[in-house]
Amino acid sequence: MARGIFKSEDPPGRARAIVEATTHWQDPERVAGASRGLGPAMISLESSKLEGEQLLAQRGS
Amino acid sequence: MAPDAAPLIGVLAIQGDFEAHGRVLRRLGANVREVRVPADLEDVAGLVIPGGESTTIMLGIERERLAGPLRAVVRSGLPVLGSCAGLILLDRAHLGLMDMTAERNAFGRQIRSFEADIELAGLPGGPLHAIFIRAPWIAAHGPDRRDPRGSFDGHPVVRSPGTDARRCLSQRAER
Repeated sequence: MARGIFKSEDPPGRARAIVEATTHWQDPERVAGASRGLGPAMISLESSKLEGEQLLAQRGS
Repeated sequence: MAPDAAPLIGVLAIQGDFEAHGRVLRRLGANVREVRVPADLEDVAGLVIPGGESTTIMLGIERERLAGPLRAVVRSGLPVLGSCAGLILLDRAHLGLMDMTAERNAFGRQIRSFEADIELAGLPGGPLHAIFIRAPWIAAHGPDRRDPRGSFDGHPVVRSPGTDARRCLSQRAER
């Protein structure tokens, strides 16, 4: 399953869009424009559904 | 100073320390406008290019097609101050607005960050408490024509070469 920026369909495009939308957070048109054409919505896992070793807090300890 | 007589200072707000620079400018009595697109440069009386990460800021300048308008307003005489990454952006290899070449991360990596009091020629009020966080220094520069200027450990870190209206410092300064 694709997750986050790096496992999205187009990581550079999604990363660029997030940066642009952040810079122009007070400009709804720029945020909307940056959000278009990115493929499927960003999919991720809900942290409360992660178990044990999947939790970042448990890794590397 | 009455609020409507206060100068309007633009702070480049692509990435980095723009909020802190705006806060200090407001405390000093200026009106502040964050600059993200060329239209934001209209009617500003001065411009600050703050610290941050110079490659990231340059990418944003290119995305917003800001390089041409920034060069135009500064070359037409708008006073500009570049701080840390802002110094790098003003150098020959970037916006080309100051006759100097910056050396990035010149003092070393994050762990080599430090604070120091530096003496500045031409700026009254005693030494400036400066915070060098992965700061650049000026590796080469044209003749200094103006103050203030200052060095740390033999390396130029505050300069005003060329024109009265352009200044840069390689670090965050507090007083």
